[in-house]
Amino acid sequence: MRASDSHEVSQLNELKIDVNALTFTAHYVLAGDIIMCEQMPIFGGYAGGLEETTIVDVATTLNAFLMTQAHWHLDGPIHVRWGITTARESLAVAGHCARAIEENTQCLLGNQYYTLAGPCTVMCLLETAAQSITDTASGREVVSGVASAKGVATNYTTAMEARFMGEVAHAVAGMDLDKVNRMLDELVAIYETGYKTAPKGKTFNECYDLAKLLPSDEYMQVYKEAWGILNKLGLKY
Amino acid sequence: MSNEPKVGVFESYARAISGPRIPENEWDYKIIPQTASRIKEKYGIKMDKKKMIPTDEKLINNLFRAGMEMLVECGVYCMDTGRVIKYTEEEVWAAIKTAPKRLVLGEGRDAVVLEGRRFDESKPPIIQGGPTGAPVAEKDFVAMHEAYAREPIVDTIVDGVCQTIYGQDPRPNTPFEIYAVKNEAMMIRLAQARAGRPGMGL
Repeated sequence: MRASDSHEVSQLNELKIDVNALTFTAHYVLAGDIIMCEQMPIFGGYAGGLEETTIVDVATTLNAFLMTQAHWHLDGPIHVRWGITTARESLAVAGHCARAIEENTQCLLGNQYYTLAGPCTVMCLLETAAQSITDTASGREVVSGVASAKGVATNYTTAMEARFMGEVAHAVAGMDLDKVNRMLDELVAIYETGYKTAPKGKTFNECYDLAKLLPSDEYMQVYKEAWGILNKLGLKY
Repeated sequence: MSNEPKVGVFESYARAISGPRIPENEWDYKIIPQTASRIKEKYGIKMDKKKMIPTDEKLINNLFRAGMEMLVECGVYCMDTGRVIKYTEEEVWAAIKTAPKRLVLGEGRDAVVLEGRRFDESKPPIIQGGPTGAPVAEKDFVAMHEAYAREPIVDTIVDGVCQTIYGQDPRPNTPFEIYAVKNEAMMIRLAQARAGRPGMGL
């Protein structure tokens, strides 16, 4: 690791820390490293509902710059039932927290991505798009992902989801906020009824031609289909 | 603003061993939910989940005040010492006012500048691509990360977790954990170099 890499420390749920985290943060501080403090508040967890989780999210974001001397903060509000950051409630917590912090400070903020569906599925890309739109249009400085299929299955992540996250962020930056909110509401409504049957998708090895390190034709078709849906909702890249 | 020195990791630890002692279950099941609920009522905060990004300035600012109050009133619980690290609002402000506003991730021609952007700006955020802590098979680790580094729109890498190290399980707090972590960093540097972006941030 170089000093110009982000050195991670995680806060614990909710508003908690352990001595081990403080100890290696002390090393980061003394080594002059860039410090990225991460935290994933749980909607439906200890704090409670939407507003309470957002209040805790704001509190822990501020704490990152105090306790761990963070250079930037990486959020990740997660839904207690689905374990994802792309649920409507997770997006609302992230969007409200980012606007509250951005409006009152100049702190640097990011958000991380955990989708329910896996690679090579339209649902995974639409989930990714919804969060990228939320993060970009609420003023965050970094989008970081994607841990597809909830980030728990081996090799169920590919660079195509990151490409989509990036293209959507570039496309939505600067768009009128009322238009963004209408688009987001429609976009989330497309996938949120499918949580119980979310497709796990395919592995990296199945999605890529490993000899050439290029995405499969099948994934390119899925990718095109997902962009087609976003085009119809009013987003172009 | 007072002239108190900025609180950081060392002072936080000092408070973690001297602050008020509280049982952990009281923190989790009483202090956090009850304080959040009371502060929500105090500021009259009501969110509409059909509107993911707020436009109401009063709501936005009340959420900030509520979060600040939550942090100052509760503090942060240290699980190992069973004590609460408390701060004043002045200390929180001192930290956030002096937090970095601009930094450089990566080196040389592959470096990117991380600096503030507003919600309505046409400047996009930094695109950090990678498995984001998801497990990756050891044999595919370099190739998968190289695929991210090859994406022109990706600015920096957020790595996955190498599932094994020479076939061994890198359990936490074991020598194999250190072995795996050091190898992960080296393999990502290799992946970035193979993509022609050796200075890319991680």
